Amino acid sequence: MAISRPISERKMPTWARLLLVIGLLYTFLSGVKFLESGIKAFGSDVAADLFDGISNPLAGLFAGILATVLVQSSSVTTATIVGLVGSGTLPFDTAVPMIMGANIGTTVTNTLASLGHIRRSEEFKRAFAGATMHDFFNVLAVAVLLPLELITGFLSGMAERLGEWLSDAGIQGGELGDSPLKSAVKWPVDLVQDLIDGASDNVVGAVLLILGLGLIFLSLAFITRNMKEVLAGRIERSINEVLSRGGGVPAMLVGLVMTVAVQSSSITTSILIPIIAAGVLTLQNAYPITLGANVGTTVTALLASLAADRPEALAIALTHTLFNLTGIALFYPAPQLRYLPVKLAQRLADVAVTNRTLALGYVVGAFVIVPLVGIVLLR
Amino acid sequence: MVLEFFRRGSENQLDKIESQVGQMLGEARHSFDLAASTVLAGASATAVGDDVHKTDRRINKLERKIRRELVVHVSVNASGTDVPMVLAYMAVAKDIERIGDYAKNIWDLAHQGVDLSKDEDVETLISYRDRISLLISQTANTFLNKATDKAWDYLAEADVLLDEFDGRIDELTQSERPSTYGVPRALYFRYMKRITAHLMNVLTALTMPVDRLAYYDEDRRDREPLDQ
Repeated sequence: MAISRPISERKMPTWARLLLVIGLLYTFLSGVKFLESGIKAFGSDVAADLFDGISNPLAGLFAGILATVLVQSSSVTTATIVGLVGSGTLPFDTAVPMIMGANIGTTVTNTLASLGHIRRSEEFKRAFAGATMHDFFNVLAVAVLLPLELITGFLSGMAERLGEWLSDAGIQGGELGDSPLKSAVKWPVDLVQDLIDGASDNVVGAVLLILGLGLIFLSLAFITRNMKEVLAGRIERSINEVLSRGGGVPAMLVGLVMTVAVQSSSITTSILIPIIAAGVLTLQNAYPITLGANVGTTVTALLASLAADRPEALAIALTHTLFNLTGIALFYPAPQLRYLPVKLAQRLADVAVTNRTLALGYVVGAFVIVPLVGIVLLR
Repeated sequence: MVLEFFRRGSENQLDKIESQVGQMLGEARHSFDLAASTVLAGASATAVGDDVHKTDRRINKLERKIRRELVVHVSVNASGTDVPMVLAYMAVAKDIERIGDYAKNIWDLAHQGVDLSKDEDVETLISYRDRISLLISQTANTFLNKATDKAWDYLAEADVLLDEFDGRIDELTQSERPSTYGVPRALYFRYMKRITAHLMNVLTALTMPVDRLAYYDEDRRDREPLDQ
């Protein structure tokens, strides 16, 4: 009948869920180690050639956007970048714009989600604005912070100092072998290397690289799925609280906590789209949740740095966090700037609702064509 | 707000929505009892008017809250498993909101000067009030406990009430007594009939599939749950 509950809901016990998440985190960190070892196995020449083309910061930015759009997850991109920086293959300075690009690329998921409302004008207008305010915030943050970073190196400088402090305090970072965790995640890599002992460096590199990317992608996908299922009730409660109490800094914290828990800002921001489309959640109240999600998603890169060999890995992960925090500090406190991304998104939505081809063109153009053309021209 | 994420509680938010439906029924009963007291027990319409209207606003607010939370529920749990329940809660909240409106209509009668407290048939009118008030409470308990068997019992009881109200209205339309006698009673029975019908709709959420909700008070040939 209309209101009836399933007789028995298939639920995994909490201890089993916990074990599963620990197992998946271990798999994720092993994936980072596989990736790092795979790149190292190719030899320094191959690796240097691989990233030579994106030494231009804008090319790096576009590569970050495109890679994230392709895998639909900034967590996968940033974890990969951390692994590459950790192996010493990807220079830290080259990785900074890529990390910023990953931040922009991740917004494609909720923009695609908003297109689901394209047939209903008012809903679509709200949904598209709700999705693109995230795009505008990230683009504005990059537009201000990337040139500043290139001129002054303030973000990477801060991240390096913070990384050193954390290493000195024994919290994170340092060279290989000085933590049991690093030894534990190195073990499966050693096992695979023993299995293919005798193969050429390129074969070993390719095997480890593919395994690394596959493990990172799969473990993050399963962590996200599992955590979303486990925490659905809490996520719902938190959003209901935002609905009844409004946005602001507490809503930002809700976005942060939700994203850390599910390890995906795309999940957090995409959940908001139908609620915004229905007119239940206002753009002004959804906006801080989105900003919180931006910060929350940086935890994945920080986790990935636990498995990396070099302190630069931690520094690049911290750069990601500091970039997002600085972006908020730049735009959120001043009332004149706070809702600038929201207003820009509303304007774009006003245009998109009258010309829906433009909405599709925006998604393809901003997330595929511009980055692709940018990489080709600037490499 | 963020602490809400860490607070332990029911993981299924539909439980919370369900208790809000129960709360709406409690408010609807309060509003109905107050409104009926003005027409049948000589309570001052002015004195209770504020309470009746405030209660109605609380009912409306709860309905909007339930709708918002249902939108959040389907957005977070996109699997579609709960869709029949979500649609049923939407329908049920609307029915309870209508009960609040009919309670206001009863209060309107008193506000327009109707006072049946000293009339010869007041005991009969009060007995109907008591049965409806009890039925609201029984509907709430049945709904919250998902007591399907009880729901069928109360539906049968409500059926009898519908027939009685129809009979009373028929008598009044054919009566030769003055309109000051017939009109207030006809309206009163009509409002009672509609409240009963909306309570039946709430109960059908436990007994009927989603596509058959809210028809139970209409043609009795439409009652077979699996009839297409």
